[in-house]
Amino acid sequence: MDCPVCDKAMITAELHEVEVDYCASCNGIWLDAGELEILLGDPKQADSAVSSFQPVSGANHPVRKCPICRKKMEIVDTDGTGVVLLDRCRLHHGLWFDRGELPTILQRTSLDSSGRIRTLLEELFIRNPGKE
Amino acid sequence: MWELIRVNRRNSILLMAVMAGCLVGLGAALGGGFAGQDGLVGGIAVALAVWAVLAMISLTAGDQILLSSSQAVPITPEIHPQLFNVVEELKIAAGLPVLPKIYMIHDPTLNAFATGRSPKSASVAITSGLLARLNRDELQGVMAHEISHIVHRDILFVTLAGVMLGSVVLLSRIFLRSTYYGSMGSRRRYSSRGSQGGAQAQAILFVIAILAAILAPILVQIFYFALSRQREYLADAGAARLTRYPEGLASALEKIAGNTAPLSTANEVTAPMYIDTPFRGGRALHLFSTHPPVEERIRILRSMSQGAALKDYVKAYRQTMGSETGLPLSVRKDTESVDLRAGSSDRSTPANEKTARRQMNDWARRASGFLFLPCSCGVTLKIPPNYSAGNVDCPRCGTRLTIPR
Repeated sequence: MDCPVCDKAMITAELHEVEVDYCASCNGIWLDAGELEILLGDPKQADSAVSSFQPVSGANHPVRKCPICRKKMEIVDTDGTGVVLLDRCRLHHGLWFDRGELPTILQRTSLDSSGRIRTLLEELFIRNPGKE
Repeated sequence: MWELIRVNRRNSILLMAVMAGCLVGLGAALGGGFAGQDGLVGGIAVALAVWAVLAMISLTAGDQILLSSSQAVPITPEIHPQLFNVVEELKIAAGLPVLPKIYMIHDPTLNAFATGRSPKSASVAITSGLLARLNRDELQGVMAHEISHIVHRDILFVTLAGVMLGSVVLLSRIFLRSTYYGSMGSRRRYSSRGSQGGAQAQAILFVIAILAAILAPILVQIFYFALSRQREYLADAGAARLTRYPEGLASALEKIAGNTAPLSTANEVTAPMYIDTPFRGGRALHLFSTHPPVEERIRILRSMSQGAALKDYVKAYRQTMGSETGLPLSVRKDTESVDLRAGSSDRSTPANEKTARRQMNDWARRASGFLFLPCSCGVTLKIPPNYSAGNVDCPRCGTRLTIPR
């Protein structure tokens, strides 16, 4: 799978039997719908986590292509203020987080009701030397 | 069985003839439209040449095209010993001359198919999603169904139809694009006057695009006939006979029917076919649907209480469906007896489905050349074969790991 931003091959990181793909050169993160299903244990919950966000138009945000189907992704608003945006595949193949988006998004929203996505992403990508 | 094999041969020849007819018609229309009488002959000649190339390709490499377009990777016994074990058993039971090549498709959906030219050069493919969810008896049922398609020679026709359909879809897309861009170009270049020749060529291309657009769904229908209901019932009957355990396939079908995996790339390719079918609604839908309702297939398999032979399947079919008219005569007249066997002791699904799915994905990745780098902090990094840098930082703890290439 290639990074939607820089087209380089993405690396897959597995933690607690769930995989997250990320780009080693731009630090973007791809959260795959199939992996969300494994993480949340239920396809319906996984889909509702992906589809909960509202799409926004005319945002000052580059359009990316889904790494799975190569179709243009839509830009969605994560917290209703139109400030923190991320990309979502229109066919719900997954979510793309640009570099820098992740900490802000994780601060403001848990992404799913159980908070499991947030915990996983924090553990994998937000380094916290005091905790380890 | 010979009756089935004969019908499949005849259908394959018919399909090639229909395809030749369509291409010659298109060639004649195109050549005649561009250059009158001389063009007509030329157009037909070109069309026949295209047909010959297409036929050669689909006969010699059709299975490889279908397998690579579904991104199937060949797997080895080390990757999934149980699958090899099951297929080897079935190869002996079915009397196949060689072991079919075994492929895995890295996809969360639940599916499997068989392709090839003859039992001597056949392949079976299964998605990693299905492989992760089935126990041994169910896996055996699914593989026996696919191997029955090989024994019945369904695979040649389906492979031919698949390649032909794919090329028609491709052609119609090329034509549609070229008319689109063609009209854009001419609007810019000849803003007011327009060019006589260009307009004519465009009109012809447009007609071709429409013809191809009409042809494609018809070929889809032929493809659907290829996987007709009768073939599916017969492959189910064959699977019950080979495994002597109809419940295995029945419970696998139940799992496949109950699954609601998210849309994958494979579904995206097949979905337009469903929407585009010109025979929608009412009785037509009933006539033209390819796979019989899965509940019916399960019910038939589950009511095979006295044996696993073809005659027992016919009996169960009659009980469930009211008559046996959907089955060919040779199968209805079959007298061989086959006893049922008990289910194997390992009836459980893979204990932890999450772990099983992870393992299956990992096998699929290893098979396609990924390197696995475990970091001491607990994260495993999976490096794709086209990753060029020599090292990588663990995103969790920041440790720099060297990629051993």
